[in-house]
Amino acid sequence: MRRWKNRIFSGVILAMTILTVLILAFVIYFIVKEALPTFQEVKLTDFLFGQRWMPIAYTGEVSFGIFNFIMATLYVSFVALVIAVFVGLGAAVFLSCVASERMRGILYPFVDLLAGIPSVIYGFIGLAILVKYFIRLGIPTGSCVLAAGILLAVMLLPFLVSSCSETMLKVKEAYLPAAEAMGISKWYAIATIVLPASWKNILMSMILAIGRAMGETMAVMMVMGNANLFPRLLGKSESIASVIALEMGTAVVDSTHYHALYAAGMVLMILLFVINLVIMFLREKIID
Amino acid sequence: MHWKARLVKYWAYLSMGLVTAIILFLFGYVFYQGADTISWEFLTQAPSGAVLGEEGGIWPAIVGSLFFTATAVVLGSIPAVATALYMVFYCKSRRLELLVRMVVQCISGIPSIVLGLFAYSFLVRDLGWGRCILSSGVALAIMILPFIEVRAEKAFHELPAQMVQSSYALGCSRWYTIRKIVLPACKGELVSGIILGGCYAMGATAPMIFTGAVAYAKVPTSLMQPAMALPMHLYLLLAQGVTSMDTAYATAFVMMGLILLSNLLATIYARRSQKKWRIH
Repeated sequence: MRRWKNRIFSGVILAMTILTVLILAFVIYFIVKEALPTFQEVKLTDFLFGQRWMPIAYTGEVSFGIFNFIMATLYVSFVALVIAVFVGLGAAVFLSCVASERMRGILYPFVDLLAGIPSVIYGFIGLAILVKYFIRLGIPTGSCVLAAGILLAVMLLPFLVSSCSETMLKVKEAYLPAAEAMGISKWYAIATIVLPASWKNILMSMILAIGRAMGETMAVMMVMGNANLFPRLLGKSESIASVIALEMGTAVVDSTHYHALYAAGMVLMILLFVINLVIMFLREKIID
Repeated sequence: MHWKARLVKYWAYLSMGLVTAIILFLFGYVFYQGADTISWEFLTQAPSGAVLGEEGGIWPAIVGSLFFTATAVVLGSIPAVATALYMVFYCKSRRLELLVRMVVQCISGIPSIVLGLFAYSFLVRDLGWGRCILSSGVALAIMILPFIEVRAEKAFHELPAQMVQSSYALGCSRWYTIRKIVLPACKGELVSGIILGGCYAMGATAPMIFTGAVAYAKVPTSLMQPAMALPMHLYLLLAQGVTSMDTAYATAFVMMGLILLSNLLATIYARRSQKKWRIH
């Protein structure tokens, strides 16, 4: 009887794990299946490097080029990362090297609150505050890549802070007592030993954070202006995720427009797979 | 003090101060702006007004969001916890472990909007479920699966190896060990991981835009109906412009309140149960 239960349980666990693997296969299959018909109409190079996105022929020909969207996605994620790293790394130093065990117990869940805030609310606050501020600075309508970058940066903070401070805490515990025994001041040791020794892991957290930023939809869509333009810091632009969210509702099922949106999703998905797999193998290498 | 040391010190204090200020500001701002409109009527009535949502309340959206979240949590946490158990207690082959880890990492990399696309083509169209809570729930479940799996796996790994080994040494089966030792000891982390995953699902808009969330629906009674959801409702209120600003702030108030509450609950619960097994 007991052996029987044991077997059933193992079977269920195995089945569920297989299900997890199948889910990924399913998602990839359906996205690719719906994306491929695009390339019967549009050449892959035109799709990736074309700058004109005219899904419906109001004036002139239809055209499907997502180059600007790809660049906007990368650009806004990069802007967000630069801002987030500056603040996040500092906060991570504080959490790992200044805060006591007790303080950490309070501050970690506190910083994690940022991760819990829904992205629509980030977008909302971005509209209510950032965009208004940018209007006052003289940017027409106030929507711009920088506004989206700042919002995204706040959204990335909890991930950067928690992963960087975890690494730094380990490094600190390994080296700081020895450094202090040699009479090196604590802050000098942090600046010259702890930070340089953690850079590999910090870099990995940064790449992962960029991946997160690229997949973000709502907040970016609400404050970036959504115009098919090559991204500039104070100009409008549109990310891949935004195009999908905005146009999917109006695309005729099985039209080239519909398939092109899946193809755009596929490009985004592939970019993120590459990032995640690279990180995974780097991590395996560092651990081994 | 050396200039480098001084620089890093100021940088650390300043950054932490800034992060704290941002968090307090975000919650404070929404609570302050939304407090005036929040009332019992707002929470318990359906939206109304010439421009929908301008007047009335958000009751159907609250219930809808609970439906979406519950579906996602049930469908997502079971394979997530099972996969974590498999990785830690069953998997013997290093290569297989790497494969499953790769899969989980990849799922966590799928952008939520792409999960929406997937659910649309597979569930809404091919399976003919139509736009309904279940379709969105599946997309949300896939979204939170890696989130919960990573937390569960971490909790299982952090369990002292002696506890598990001693149980095996006494002749207990794996199933018995997991049921009587592993799951009770990790209950805190598991439950808090699932609550936070639920929060994540509740706030997500992208996967449900074209799979199940609609601008107006009655309080849902089954999983095969489309429903309103708080984040979608908020987004639509904002798209309507100035006249629905008050109700938008109040909707944001409700969402932020729920987030704050569940985070608090998750943290306290995790800490409590952690203490319990550490004493034994």
